[in-house]
Formats: sequence, C-alpha cells, structure tokens
Amino acid sequence: MTETAERNALTREQLLSAYRMMRAIREFEERVHTEFATGEIPGFVHLYAGEEASAVGVCINLDDRDTIASTHRGHGHCIAKGVDVGEMMAEIYGRRTGSCHGKGGSMHIADLSKGMLGANGIVGGGPPLICGTALAAKIRGTRGVSVAFFGDGASNQGTTLEAMNLASVWNLPAIFVAENNGYAETTSSTWSVASDNIADRAAGFGMPGVIVDGFDFFAVHEAASEAITRARAGAGPTLLEMKFTRYFGHFEGDQQTYRAGEVEHARAELDCLKRFAARVTQTGELTRSGLDAIDAEVAATIDRAVAEAKAAPPPGEADLLTDVYVRY
Amino acid sequence: MGDAMVGVVANPLSGRDIRRLVTRASVFPTAEKANMIQRMLTAFHAVGVQRVLLGTDLGGISAAVCRAIGRRGGPGAGWPEVEFLDGQPIRQTAQDTVDAVRRMVAAGAHVIICLGGDGTARVTASAAGDVPMLALSTGTNNAFPAVREATIAGLAAGLVATGAVPAEGVVTRAKLLEVRAGDRAETALVDVAVSTQRHVGTRAVWDPATLTQLFCAFAEPDVIGLSSILGQLSPVARHEPHGVTARLDTQAPVQVLAPIAPGLVMPVGVRGIEPMRPGAVYPVDARAGIVAVDGERELTFEPGERPTVRLRGDGPRCVDVPAVLAASARLGLLRRTSPAPGPPPVARIGR
Repeated sequence: MTETAERNALTREQLLSAYRMMRAIREFEERVHTEFATGEIPGFVHLYAGEEASAVGVCINLDDRDTIASTHRGHGHCIAKGVDVGEMMAEIYGRRTGSCHGKGGSMHIADLSKGMLGANGIVGGGPPLICGTALAAKIRGTRGVSVAFFGDGASNQGTTLEAMNLASVWNLPAIFVAENNGYAETTSSTWSVASDNIADRAAGFGMPGVIVDGFDFFAVHEAASEAITRARAGAGPTLLEMKFTRYFGHFEGDQQTYRAGEVEHARAELDCLKRFAARVTQTGELTRSGLDAIDAEVAATIDRAVAEAKAAPPPGEADLLTDVYVRY
Repeated sequence: MGDAMVGVVANPLSGRDIRRLVTRASVFPTAEKANMIQRMLTAFHAVGVQRVLLGTDLGGISAAVCRAIGRRGGPGAGWPEVEFLDGQPIRQTAQDTVDAVRRMVAAGAHVIICLGGDGTARVTASAAGDVPMLALSTGTNNAFPAVREATIAGLAAGLVATGAVPAEGVVTRAKLLEVRAGDRAETALVDVAVSTQRHVGTRAVWDPATLTQLFCAFAEPDVIGLSSILGQLSPVARHEPHGVTARLDTQAPVQVLAPIAPGLVMPVGVRGIEPMRPGAVYPVDARAGIVAVDGERELTFEPGERPTVRLRGDGPRCVDVPAVLAASARLGLLRRTSPAPGPPPVARIGR
C-alpha cells in the first residue's frame, strides 16, 4: 500500500474508538437534553447530536501535540479531544468538580492538558485562537496542528475570515472546519452565506477547500487525515466544510419554527452512528454485539457522570478569587 | 420547430471534493455555474429556443439565475422563458439530478444540458432516455463532459433543439458500462475501477495503489482521470464499438505515467490489457472491496457478491458540439445579410 492508502485505512482499535466516542457524544447530548428539561442545569446549552462524525472524524487524527478551538456547541469537540465526561457534566451543572471548577458552564468547557482551548460563546472566536497555537507549534517545531471548529454563522464573521487569511500568509498548520448545519441560530445558511458553499471561500485565501458529507465518519476521517498530514508537513492550512443537520434546536428551548422534517429525515436516513454501524458490521470489521457492548458501557458512564454531577458541591465563596488571573 | 425546449441541470456540489486537497484540482464556484447558465440563455435566445426548464438546487445556482432574470426586468427580456423545476423535495443528492432530468423528459425537452463532472453526466444519462444530452464540465475528472464555453454549447444545443440542424450525424450514441453486484446495478460512461479499499469515504479515487482492475468504455490519450491509464497504452476512441480492460498491479513490469486526477501524474502498473467485447460479461477478480464508476467510489461488495461489468452500446445520445456548429456553418444558419427581424442577431448579457 502507498502512504496515502495506509493513512486512510483504519485499524480495528481505531474503529472501536471512533464508535465509542461518537456514541459517548450522542448519549451525553441526549441525556443533557432530558436533564435540562428538569430545570436543574443553569444557563444555556447547545447540543451537538447529529454532528458526531465531524468532531470524531477530525479528532481521531490528532494527538496531544495538537490543539482545537470549539464553539458554543462544544460538547462533542471536548469529548472527541479526550476531555473527561464526568468533569464535563459537572461543569455543565456548575459544580466545583467540573472541568473549570463550575465557573464556566457548557459554553466555556476547556481542558488545556488535552489541547482543548475551550468552547466559546463568541461566534467566530475560535479561528483567531488557533492561529496563535498553530504559530507556536510552527516556531517550536513540534509538528503539531491546530483545528478550529466553527459554524455557518461564524463563517460570515470577520474574525474567521481574518484568521483564514493570516493562517495562509503565515503558512500555519491550521485546519478550519466549518460545521454547516444549515442554520445560524434560526437563519438559514442558504440565505446568509453569499458564496453558498463555505468551502468556496478557501480559494480567496489560497488554500484548498473541500465539501464533506458530515454524516459520514469515513468521509470526514479521510478528508481530515489528508488535511492534517498536509499541515504537519508544512504545506499550510485547509478549509473543510461539513454539511449536516443538528438534531436539536439552536439551544435547548428553541421552538424550531424555522424548519420542518429535516431532523426526522436525517435521523432515519443519514444518521452517522447508524451508517457507521451498518458499514463496519457489513464488512465484518466489527460485530453488532461488540457495538452493543460499547453502547451499554457508554450509557453506564453517562449515568455515573450525571449522578456524580448532581451530588457534587457548587463552588464556594473561597472559589471567587481563584482562577481569576493566569500567570504566564 | 416552434416550441423548442432545452432542459438545463447543474450539480451544485461538483468541483469541490477531496481532490482540491490531495491534488490541485480547480474550484468551480457557484457564481460561475450560474453565469454559464446565463450565457447559455443568451445563446438559446439567439437561435430561437423559446422555453428553458431549469433544475432547482439549494446550492444557490438556480437562485442566482432567478435573481438575474428579475434584474433584467422579468421574463422575456432577451432570454427564453425559464421555468424553474421546483415543487419537489430537494435532497441534495444525485437524486435531485435524476428527478429534474425525468421532469425535463416528461415535459418534452429536445436537448438536456448538464453541468458537472463525470458523475453528473452519468446520473443525467441514466434518466435522459433518448433525449440528446450535452455534458459541460464544471467538475474535476472530466473524461466525458467537455471543457467548453457555455455560449457555444448553448448555440449547439439550441440549433439541435429547434431542428435547424438535424440530429442525424450530430447526435451520436455513447457507450455505457454496466456494473452488477447482486441486485444492485450502476452505470459508468467512461470507466469502472475496482479498489480494495473498504469504505466509500470521500468517494473520489486518487490513489492508484488500491486499484486492481480497470474497465474503460473508451480510453483517449489526452484525457484526465483513470481512463488515461489505458489511454496511453491501448487507446480506444469514443466511436469504436469495443472497450478495453486491464489488471492494475503495482508490481507489474509495465508501468505508465498517467494523469489520474488534475495535478496528479502517477506511475501505475498495468498487465493483461485486452479489448472489451460489447455485451460480454467480465467478472471482477477481487473478493471484496469497492467499485468506482467514473472516478467515484460508489458500490461496496463483500465476499460472495462477485460483481460483473458489461460494455453496452446503448448509452446516452450526445450532442457533438463541433459537428453541430460545422453543420450550421455549412447551412449558413447564423449568417445574416441585413438586420433581421425576430430574435436579435446579437444578444448580450446585461444587468
């Protein structure tokens, strides 16, 4: 096999890991959806269900050298980059045991030890951040890459466009992953994105732009693998556009009067987990019973995460003055 | 013909696959696809086409044409009447092209133009029946569609649609490769390749090391794509009745440098080249893997399924653009001796 074919062939362990991560994200999000309705979770949550193949198909190619920047819809990116789900759940519940000691909540989960620069409430906030970490990796010669996930709304933000320009002129090991789920909050991307395809904008910055079926783990993995290999080799940034649908509203509580029928169709016909399972069992690479065992294991992990989060204490008065400043 | 009608369908996703990343394939922006359609509308009007059926999409192509019609002051201002084929679900898959082409056939379109790559042409051909088609390149691997100015294509399609140039001699039937695996079937207009890869992934084929077998309806020495592998070793023209097949093997003593994708000239090992007889059934050797049609991984197969490939002579009827315009010159169809009434002799795109 050539280098390319080897790079894109997945081992059994990688396939198991990919399924486990995608299932963990789905289970996590569906559980947060249910728990949020009880009123116990403070603040806003934006759920990633439906988009799992993007986070996992990209992050499975990354290691500890690499950093990612996320969005307000960041739980999936956190899990795919290896952030502990127990700490994430505690953070969402605002508990002292959370990833950020309960001070950030859903939209600010970060774990620098995993290269997860943070979920981000600023639309278009992530792309400039990865120009910094990608420049650091380039100067230090670590061969690390940085990935910014952002949505179709953020693709229209100046910060995103400036970051793509900077990444290209500095020839940074940066990957821009546009997660086009069709709506910026409630505004259709077919109306708001003037180039229609976000990937088309890459040409203006002198970088490759590729459209990927965001429901298909194998397509995402292959495209991301090529983009990341290219970036590590010093050949510069890439823009990948994932097209898919989010299964829940923009935020929990969104009445979704702006769309109809898409989610049902996607869940029934396009779902990344169903497609992945059908494919790997058909080829004989994995067995249905093996996947079922992962489902059970993941469900137990999420149950435990919720129970522990609910039982954990909130931050106390003494925590008010910690984590305020960072010593560089 | 007083009611000349042309159908136009454009693939909003063509020209954006992974080959932008792994090679230096060109990007074909939505705006340019919409511009091409507008240039065609001008050409259609110039030669008397009265009605155009346009496929709809969520990629912004039909929307841009619709806006352009509005800016020109509405229908009838120097362009034919354009009917947008809306009112049915847009799935953002190849099915949209099939649905649009079927509606064009049912409505009685005289010519159907498709904008896309080899994949789009294949899908259009599958639904066009006996209606002549004209494939224009806005994709990546373009062995079948021509890279050609849309205005010229529009003139040729219009001259055939109106009957000004008779179809005989300028509309020719292409060959077709039929792949069967169990109860599933696919067709290809140019090539069928067998790969040992297990997953369809990003669809495009750009790594020849995974390929084990290649079947070509035609193999021209000057095309891009997988058929170029045999185009340099055993060329077969589009009009010849036979095809050509071979086994691909990285260890084969005969290697050919082939432009298998834009910006990618790779050494490919080839052995066992033989002509493909029309109608004969050729089995696929590999036990399991993927069949790629016209450069796109499409059909997965498992042990026991053993796909077969067959060359057929009853492919789509295709408009030969140079032949149409040569006939037009012979017949003096675009010649004017004085400013003529009716369609303007010079039509321009203007805002």
